Amino acid sequence: MAPPARYCVPGERLCSAEEATAGSGTYTRHGFIFSSLAGCLEKRSEDSGLPVVSVVRDAESQLLPDVGAVVTCKVCSINSRFAKVHILYVGSTPLKSTFRGTIRREDIRATEKDKVEVYKSFRPGDIVLAKVISLGDAQSNYLLSTAENELGVVVARSEAGVQMVPISWCEMQCPRTHTKDFRKVARVQPQFLQT
Amino acid sequence: MAAPELLSDEGYRADGRRPAELRKVRARMGVFAQADGSAYIEQGNTKALAVVYGPHEMRGSRSKALPDRALVNCQYSMATFSTGERRRRPHGDRQAGELALHLKQTFEAAILTHLYPRSQIDIYVQILQADGGNYCACVNAATLAVMDAGIPMRDYVCACSAGLAEDTPLADRSPEEAAGGPRLVLALLPASGQIALLQLSARLHQERLEAALEAAGQACRALHAVLDRVVRDRLREVTALLGD
Repeated sequence: MAPPARYCVPGERLCSAEEATAGSGTYTRHGFIFSSLAGCLEKRSEDSGLPVVSVVRDAESQLLPDVGAVVTCKVCSINSRFAKVHILYVGSTPLKSTFRGTIRREDIRATEKDKVEVYKSFRPGDIVLAKVISLGDAQSNYLLSTAENELGVVVARSEAGVQMVPISWCEMQCPRTHTKDFRKVARVQPQFLQT
Repeated sequence: MAAPELLSDEGYRADGRRPAELRKVRARMGVFAQADGSAYIEQGNTKALAVVYGPHEMRGSRSKALPDRALVNCQYSMATFSTGERRRRPHGDRQAGELALHLKQTFEAAILTHLYPRSQIDIYVQILQADGGNYCACVNAATLAVMDAGIPMRDYVCACSAGLAEDTPLADRSPEEAAGGPRLVLALLPASGQIALLQLSARLHQERLEAALEAAGQACRALHAVLDRVVRDRLREVTALLGD
């Protein structure tokens, strides 16, 4: 049996700021580290510097997409200027409620940005890996970008309803009808390639 | 209502409590599985239910989203069967709007909103039975619900009301005592002693303010001890359920 964990509640003083650095679930005030969640205390020792003190909950609390995070989203509508998506996962954690995002035409590719056609890069229903570039302002939602080799369409269905196979960075082929469709395809990670 | 009626000669109040004694508090966390966080509290005969959703994307007008903080959206409603006579409008009247604004002010002070920019946290409180101390029961229930949802907070928020009978401060006023004397409502963050909300109705001489404030503060700290026990029991229960 694991040793009984130490439970913390919000407002409880954990230690002074000189003994450790504040991790997730904590905040610092007046040179002391306080807990901000109701959960178990976790003290991790880092090789460089002070140990990190954090409070973890058993159930994962809601994570928000942050700038620079790689997210998995589903395309819901496209337009000649942008594609609107629903953000489903942040990293590998699923979100309880979907967030809305936008991929602008100039953020789809890194090269030849003016020659991009959104219809030849995404279609509604595609699952796309993208990176968050901005949290958005008053008018817009999260702004995403697929301007890297590892970002782009991961799963797409052809008109026949079959999942397509990627053949190059800009084409996917349906295994049943053998028709080729244009997509901005994400480069497959080497560990997933079957040789 | 003369002061002697509030406090008997032996020092007991109308319902048999001592001046600094609180009504019996029973609380439970995690009463709803579908909400992110929920809690139920009973203070005497007052029953309040709080439900928290979030943080999630801004619903409705995105222009109200704050670029560096989360927006705390509160709604206060009283069930139609909560008072002696059936209420016609559960929410939307002026008193509900004012109390919702007070709740919002209180929780914006306690929740670490800068961790969730451009998102919204919803807190819905409903009074199932109103028997004095509605706002306080709501704040206490909402604190437990926010903690149940895993939203980071600076500290607990404990609220209590206080009144004065001649020179003796009374903690946690019940509705029979409500008619006599000034009423003070205090929402406190116990560990740091910071005040999130202080409300005073009727007139009070400034020399007596200290005593009333002190009594309310003591009552809040006593409540903090009770709520702390509830939270720790819940943590133990959740850990045991998940088989850690």
